[in-house]
Amino acid sequence: MSRRSVPGQTPAATTERDGDGRRPLEPVVAPPRTWRERGGRVLSLLGSLQGYIGLVLVVVAGVLTKGDVFWNQQNLTNAVGAFSSRGILAVGETLVILAAGIDLSVGSILGIGSMTAALLLTRWHLAPWEIVPLCMAVGLFFGFCNGAGVAWLRVQSFVMTLASLTIVRGLDRQSSDNVSVGTQVVDANGQLAPFSAAFQGLGTPGHNILTGLPLPIFGRTGVYYPVVAFLVVCVMFQLVLSKTRFGRHVYAVGGNETAARLSGVNVTAVKIAVFSLSGMLAGFAGPIDAAYSASADPLAGTSYELDAIAAAVIGGASLAGGRGSIIGTLVGALILTLLDNVLGLNAVSDNLQLIVKGLIVVVAVVLQRPGLLISLGNFGREFTRRRTR
Amino acid sequence: MKRLSRGFYGLAAAVFLAGLLGGCGGGGGGGSSSGGQQFVVAYSQSNNAEPYRAQLNIQLQHFVKKYPDLKLLPIADAHQDSATQVSQVQNLIAQKPSVLIVSPNEPAPLTAAVQQACSAKIPVIILDRSVNTDCYTSFIGGDNVLIGKRAGELAVKLLPSGGNVVELRGILSDQPQIDRDQGFRDAIAANPNIKIVANREGKWLKENATPIMQQWLAQYPKIDLVYGHNDPMALGAYLAAKAANRDKEMKFIGIDGLAIPDGGIRAVQLGELAGTFIYPTCAQQAADSAEKIVHHQPVSKKQVLGTTEVTPQNAAQLYQQYDFSKQQ
Repeated sequence: MSRRSVPGQTPAATTERDGDGRRPLEPVVAPPRTWRERGGRVLSLLGSLQGYIGLVLVVVAGVLTKGDVFWNQQNLTNAVGAFSSRGILAVGETLVILAAGIDLSVGSILGIGSMTAALLLTRWHLAPWEIVPLCMAVGLFFGFCNGAGVAWLRVQSFVMTLASLTIVRGLDRQSSDNVSVGTQVVDANGQLAPFSAAFQGLGTPGHNILTGLPLPIFGRTGVYYPVVAFLVVCVMFQLVLSKTRFGRHVYAVGGNETAARLSGVNVTAVKIAVFSLSGMLAGFAGPIDAAYSASADPLAGTSYELDAIAAAVIGGASLAGGRGSIIGTLVGALILTLLDNVLGLNAVSDNLQLIVKGLIVVVAVVLQRPGLLISLGNFGREFTRRRTR
Repeated sequence: MKRLSRGFYGLAAAVFLAGLLGGCGGGGGGGSSSGGQQFVVAYSQSNNAEPYRAQLNIQLQHFVKKYPDLKLLPIADAHQDSATQVSQVQNLIAQKPSVLIVSPNEPAPLTAAVQQACSAKIPVIILDRSVNTDCYTSFIGGDNVLIGKRAGELAVKLLPSGGNVVELRGILSDQPQIDRDQGFRDAIAANPNIKIVANREGKWLKENATPIMQQWLAQYPKIDLVYGHNDPMALGAYLAAKAANRDKEMKFIGIDGLAIPDGGIRAVQLGELAGTFIYPTCAQQAADSAEKIVHHQPVSKKQVLGTTEVTPQNAAQLYQQYDFSKQQ
């Protein structure tokens, strides 16, 4: 039931019992009086902010090396936009990981979602608001199949989703005849067809939605749909996890399945639900991916599941289940994409980038570990307490 | 629906052929030189899922059909896995085809399999990538150094007073990447004012090229030409430049020139690419060579094919010529 690794949530504020059965320390309420107490407060604050440290380091590195070229709205939108579809996969992946499962099929489901979008667009000229729900339904179907296999047939989630990874990819390739499908359909005069132009709003670079509306920060230039969709999905699912009974059940199933079952949680339903939601989100990300490249490639989304798992893990999710949060995954996704951006802007060689990215994953996970900086925080609190006694 | 039925007929044909071959097996020794005169051609493809190879498959089926005495077995797809391809080639050898065509996934692992075919006295045609043995009848492939050179010559022509070039590379360890880079650099050396200011690995993928190009646009106020090692990467860069409203101040060159709606020839037609270069699929030459081999006519050991430059002037005509989706 632990939510210790939710960044921004002070461990001291968590009053319920955590997963290891240890009772968190009592909150310190006395106002600081001496510099030693203040020092203790700073240390414990650092402990609670540890989830953001990796992100802050990457941003600082970007600002120090590239300044305005890095820190401007356009570059940040580009960087986050390039990762949005994988970020949405990571949200679904986090749900599954929280319930102590793993979903390897999200990349393939994104692929078939993107192909579905392109085929619906080019063959039936559907509008974006018709395409997106249909793609979500396709993803939901495959996600449900995963969940049914895991919960009813009792296939381990790694095996079940590994199988659907290849099955769904096969269907994707079959439906496209192995040829990529472009989404920019032009008429005889070389003009973009209206249905094709509407589809660009789903994420073709340089095409914003809600243009003309006076929006905070963005003004009247509109917003870039992939970024907004990613952030909205993050907020929605964070609320579901932290505010609803279903959310608590997900943590319960991941923390201790037997205990959850004995306390009346419908474990089967929770498992099917998390895989279905993960599939649905992958289907939702499909049209974004298709619009981003202005085409649906039969191989689109290959190995995206690894990026999604990396984002969740960097964000503090434990593959053992029961620990992690969507906000953490958001931070993990931002670290991955901004790191790529900073390395790219600094023209770091491709081979060195691979090494650096791998190292950062390890460093970020170690930084995330409750106990590294929290122990620092605990030390700070102990330190304060001993002095005031 | 059309595709489904095609697949069904393919399956039916496969079952029928398998039965036929099984029946012949007892008769001994290939057994295809009797009155009906049907020569079986087997083809091992390294990966159906690349658009270029999907196109190759379609074209090979088309050209083999032009020879009524040739019969193409269902194409074996190795899914980009050399071990799979070795066993598939062995299965094809067991069916004793008159000609075996192989598009090797990697040279070293496929060498032994090709030698097995050779010792079974089956003539082998190697497409596109080499194997480390001489024991084949003919090699047919494109010349990536030449294509890179032609792309470089186009860059020199487009930038008479020099300029800044950015290069999107394929997977760095792939031989076509090495050759397309080498040829391009050799050719642009003709004008010392042309500089490659940045190059990065886009891994042949459109979705990788877009964010890389966005980063370059943020860093370099002046980019005059984008060289993509394939059309999807050049087009991914085009999307980024168009979004930044800078697509008009630079030219885009790609390679591959596939005649599919999402391919390079169409992009030249639409004015997105300044030019692209057709990387030959070798399908027609493979079918022609197979026909010669079964009739014991000589074929040259090594057939290196040239390229065709796709320009806004010839794009429409080339698209028609190479579009095999409607000719089946």
